[in-house]
Amino acid sequence: MGVIDLDRLEVRLGARTVLDGLTGELQGNAIGLLGPNGAGKSTLINTLLGFHPPSKGTARVFGLDAHRDRARIRGAIGYMPENDSFIGNMTGVHFVRYMAELAGLPPGPALERAHEALFYVGLGEVRYRKVNSYSLGMKQLIKLAQALAHGPKLLILDEPTNGLDPMARQRMIQLVKEIRKEGSVKLLISSHLLRDIDETCDEVLILKNGRIAALCNIEAERRSNRSFMELETVGATEKFSVSIRGLGCECACFPGGRIKLVIPDNIEVRDLYVIASEQGVQIRRMNQRRDSLEDIFLRAMDNEPGRPAHVSL
Amino acid sequence: MSVYKNTYRAYTGPVTPLWMRIYVLARYGFAEAWSSKITVALFTLSLLPFAVFLIGIYLANNPLAQMVILKNASRGLNVDAAYFLNMLEIQSWIALAITAWVAPRLIGFDLADNALPILLSHPISRVGYVFGKFMAMFVSLSMVTWVPCLLLFVYQCYSSAQPWAAAHLSIAVGVFIGAVIWIAFLSILGLALSSWVKWRVVATGAIFAAIFVPAGVGAIVSAVLRTQWGFLLNLPVTMSILWQRLLGAPEFMRSVASLPTPAIVTVLVLACLLCVAMLNARIRAREVVRG
Repeated sequence: MGVIDLDRLEVRLGARTVLDGLTGELQGNAIGLLGPNGAGKSTLINTLLGFHPPSKGTARVFGLDAHRDRARIRGAIGYMPENDSFIGNMTGVHFVRYMAELAGLPPGPALERAHEALFYVGLGEVRYRKVNSYSLGMKQLIKLAQALAHGPKLLILDEPTNGLDPMARQRMIQLVKEIRKEGSVKLLISSHLLRDIDETCDEVLILKNGRIAALCNIEAERRSNRSFMELETVGATEKFSVSIRGLGCECACFPGGRIKLVIPDNIEVRDLYVIASEQGVQIRRMNQRRDSLEDIFLRAMDNEPGRPAHVSL
Repeated sequence: MSVYKNTYRAYTGPVTPLWMRIYVLARYGFAEAWSSKITVALFTLSLLPFAVFLIGIYLANNPLAQMVILKNASRGLNVDAAYFLNMLEIQSWIALAITAWVAPRLIGFDLADNALPILLSHPISRVGYVFGKFMAMFVSLSMVTWVPCLLLFVYQCYSSAQPWAAAHLSIAVGVFIGAVIWIAFLSILGLALSSWVKWRVVATGAIFAAIFVPAGVGAIVSAVLRTQWGFLLNLPVTMSILWQRLLGAPEFMRSVASLPTPAIVTVLVLACLLCVAMLNARIRAREVVRG
């Protein structure tokens, strides 16, 4: 059982199909949700929260049906919405306590957890100030505090670094990393910023036009890229490439003596130098290229529209 | 998590049952309502008629005090259905004022800062949310309507020399049912209008307008068409008729006294359904972040 299971999930809002046949099992500790505007990210989050009933298929969170069991799911989820969403005339601690009680905590523990959550996110000193007097960064943090206070099993963060300055963004990313490291909370992070997802997530779901454009494990992709290499050579490049093919490498030659190759596990980099030396080829530059999330995203966007694809590199 | 360790820890303690979430909403709504000095001032105002009617009951049941204070009065004080009807009517106007002040506070703060997506992402439904706010409103209004009226009834039962309670129990039942109908209607009307008006001051005005503008329209309709049915839009009049019938008091406006009770109840039910539809439309539109 994954954290989130989607089975031919289709969601229609009015006459428009917003999510179209999503199928996949998300089981990472931190799942990134990427996609251009209008791809269906927010609709997917709202469907997982039980706001939108699926018109076809199912969405499951921890094995529970997202619509039928929405009360139980909401009790296990902490949700930080993208836009401003708070009660401005309440103090920070009063607001977080209120949300914790709504999530099911008795009044005493709710107050205790509210204080702890506010200190944890760094709002301890301003917890008795009214929320509408907070800066934008503080408002983001109090949304995170209220999402954490009741100890959720799944934390849904919608654009957590939206509108933050670099320092505040770094702090938010650091908090997310700490929560992920602690291990008791799974994370679903929706963001437009690939770098945020890259830094915090181990699995990514990319949506395009309401369909899955890519679903991949970032860590696994990174591991598979370790054997991908770029060389710049001077000399008999063609002959050199034939020789390294003979070792079992897949390679492609480009003008200017550039060679891209994938090295099998049993071949060492030293073997390439040996062959180059034997053939009088100079290796001027060697790059062990790491495929970035941006590459994965761009490739997913280039895919045939709407075709679900597991990205392979 | 801990304040001094500054680390995250999962919560492993007890969790309240789902129905308690409505109680949480009601409790916080009630606290919000009574955090305002104006609410407290209106409540204090509502105690003045209570005090006056309390003294009235004391005088009515104390011949010596009657002789001293009401020696020149042409007729003595009579504590009957009409007495409690007067009290209920005065308290009901104060309840309207409290509704106009409190209802926009209950809903307005949530809507002003777009709190609904966060509130409803917790294990609480739209119906539960509205019911929680309704309960906060209902309890607040109860404190100025049927509760003081029934306290007076109890005091009259205690003070009366003759066995009074058994013969007049229908007054207590009538006061309770009449007040509950009125405050339930006011609560739902106040919440519905507050959910549609962004500024709280305007919402306060809209609540008064929702009572008095249809009354004016109803009066015009009755005058132009020479019919009594226009009075159905006049809520103060229709509620007075309903209360008279519930308490068994003599009817005072013969021109509209023939309005049938089912027609009055139908108007109230239709108005409530309209308010529910307004609330549903508004809250449904605001429950999710549109992206």
